[in-house]
Amino acid sequence: MDIKRKIDVIRVNPEDWPNGTPAGKIPDPELGYDLIPVERYTSDAFMKLEWDHMWTKVWLLGGRSDDMPNPGDYICTEIGKESVLIVRQEDGSVRAFPNVCLHRGNRLRPEGLGNAENFRCMYHHWTYDRAGCITRIPDLDTFPQGAPPEGKLPSYPCGEWGSFVWYSLNPDVEPLETYLDPMQQHLGPYHFERMALVRDVTVEWDCNWKAAVDAFSETYHVQGIHPQLQWYLDDVNIQIDCVGKHSRYLVPFAAISPRVAVPSSIPPAIYDIMVKAGMDPAEYEGRVTDIRRDVQLFKRKHGAAQGRDYSELNDDQLTDDYHYTIFPNVSLNVHADDVMMFRMRPHATDPDKMLYDVWVFELVPDGEPWPDRVKHRHFKHGERSIGQVLDQDAYNLPTVQKGMHADSFKGLWIGDQELRIRHFHKVIDDYVYGPNGKPRDAG
Amino acid sequence: MDLGLQGKKAIIVGAARGIGLATAEILAREGCDLAITARSADSVKDAVAELKRYGGNVVGKACNVKNADEYKEWLQWAVAELGGCDILIPFASAGGGQGSEKYWSNAFEVDLMGPVRAVEAVLPSMVERGGGAIVLIATTSAGEAMGGAQAYNALKASLVTYGKQLGLQHGKDKIRVNVVSPGPVEFEGGNWDMIKGTMEKFYQSQLRQHPQGRMGTPDEIARCIVFMASPAANWCNGSHLVVDGGFTNRTHF
Repeated sequence: MDIKRKIDVIRVNPEDWPNGTPAGKIPDPELGYDLIPVERYTSDAFMKLEWDHMWTKVWLLGGRSDDMPNPGDYICTEIGKESVLIVRQEDGSVRAFPNVCLHRGNRLRPEGLGNAENFRCMYHHWTYDRAGCITRIPDLDTFPQGAPPEGKLPSYPCGEWGSFVWYSLNPDVEPLETYLDPMQQHLGPYHFERMALVRDVTVEWDCNWKAAVDAFSETYHVQGIHPQLQWYLDDVNIQIDCVGKHSRYLVPFAAISPRVAVPSSIPPAIYDIMVKAGMDPAEYEGRVTDIRRDVQLFKRKHGAAQGRDYSELNDDQLTDDYHYTIFPNVSLNVHADDVMMFRMRPHATDPDKMLYDVWVFELVPDGEPWPDRVKHRHFKHGERSIGQVLDQDAYNLPTVQKGMHADSFKGLWIGDQELRIRHFHKVIDDYVYGPNGKPRDAG
Repeated sequence: MDLGLQGKKAIIVGAARGIGLATAEILAREGCDLAITARSADSVKDAVAELKRYGGNVVGKACNVKNADEYKEWLQWAVAELGGCDILIPFASAGGGQGSEKYWSNAFEVDLMGPVRAVEAVLPSMVERGGGAIVLIATTSAGEAMGGAQAYNALKASLVTYGKQLGLQHGKDKIRVNVVSPGPVEFEGGNWDMIKGTMEKFYQSQLRQHPQGRMGTPDEIARCIVFMASPAANWCNGSHLVVDGGFTNRTHF
């Protein structure tokens, strides 16, 4: 590798944290080195296969549980051509329905959050209660055939975990706990329920949703499009783990990449990490390369007094990025004090388009007031900045998507640093073609 | 031109990287014996090994300049190891920073008292040896805005005054004191190397302000420092030499 130094990163001994996030390296699967066919990013045919065999079979992230704490609170979310209404019930459970009136197919609610006594279609005022049962059909006597015999909206499997609400378009889907396993053990110690949403953005991107998942599945691109992060994190000494359908990598933060020389002064982004932890960088006597460990020790010592309970997290988790992908489309940069989470949603009809949801959560220290919910913003790529690093990713993706349409480009040439990408496509294959199935011609 | 450095004994504070290392390297090549220090023992070890290649006597030991007792001890050790001192060039700096009062005490201890304590330590030896040369390192940021109002710029500025008056006071002992103010210098692991990577637009804007469109190299600064420290510059005393490729706008009358 093109590095200037060899670094022995200090990592926790997984055995010291038996009840926490499993930190040990999981043996890499043998996934070969074949091209990943480009058609899966560009063709309508593969998009259809993906919809029929993957999107409609898996569990999907619907939203945040604390956006719907009370009976009647709902989240209306879209995936591809479908719109789904997730509603908090009187007994505290959640139910999900197609957001579609049984009468003429009108959408019952626009995408977003709300609270409703009942759901009344705007068109002819067919009305459904919170459990999806029809409560009124105006002029019912003019329907000689009667009301639709089931008397209620169909329901989708729906459940909650990790302070998030999940749904599936597949009535026969496996239990949510089984689908997510073992993410609960990995992510539970962070206590997402102690974190408040501070950013809620949806951006329309001109690329296939998988190109976006890929972009957040390797650190190889840091030296390419995020050069400034080399004075913030170690993009080389990472631990990649494929965890069932899901995957992760562990990236040391508050570190200097071995691709660049160690600076004599504290880099600005690492300075900010220290300040956020409560340290005064001007007081710091150690070497720049000692900062990661010293921030861990400082947070371990002072976290409780700051109202931040790190007791279930190992030392590495106090600085590092534990980055997870929950298959198929949720990417989480998980940190002790915040989570930066992305949801990549396919366009309803166009493989060259997608929706990129950015949710940022921050730990609310004990005794501090829970902040007001931030407003959701939705815009097209390029209309607004989404921050330096994400802009660097965002501006790159449309050219990736355009390039993939070239007749000369046959597929992705994936290396070891990109193992998660290969694994991600393997899991898609398992859905689309069946486990160990041979790819059919998708083009 | 012979610089006349052969056999001179030089103390370099902060010689593990950048301009300090480049200066030590030229002095070693010119035949000086050297005593060097830096914060990290590993860096000192590497630098000593590097400098010894030129065949002179090179000694080094890690030291934290901010720790006055440790530093004074190191200075006594250096003079004793070399068997005297002809040249002193203190480079060590606490660097820049704004927002914490601690930056002021750091800069006071390292950027100002670092040179002051070194001067106090070597003067008796220089007097005894019938002369010597001291080069203090300030910065163009002392004379022109850079990085906002901060301790680094202000305390580096004090060295210009201190250096001049020190030269006047010790002229009678044939001890020359001069100040060199480098402009922005880029080298691997230096601040501008990091700024190029982390704040590329700002870096490019600085390059555009340079008459030659680039920053200096450690060697380009070091050659001027070595000249000022050498017997070849024996009529330079109390001078303030700005070495910046023409970066600063001010005309120095």
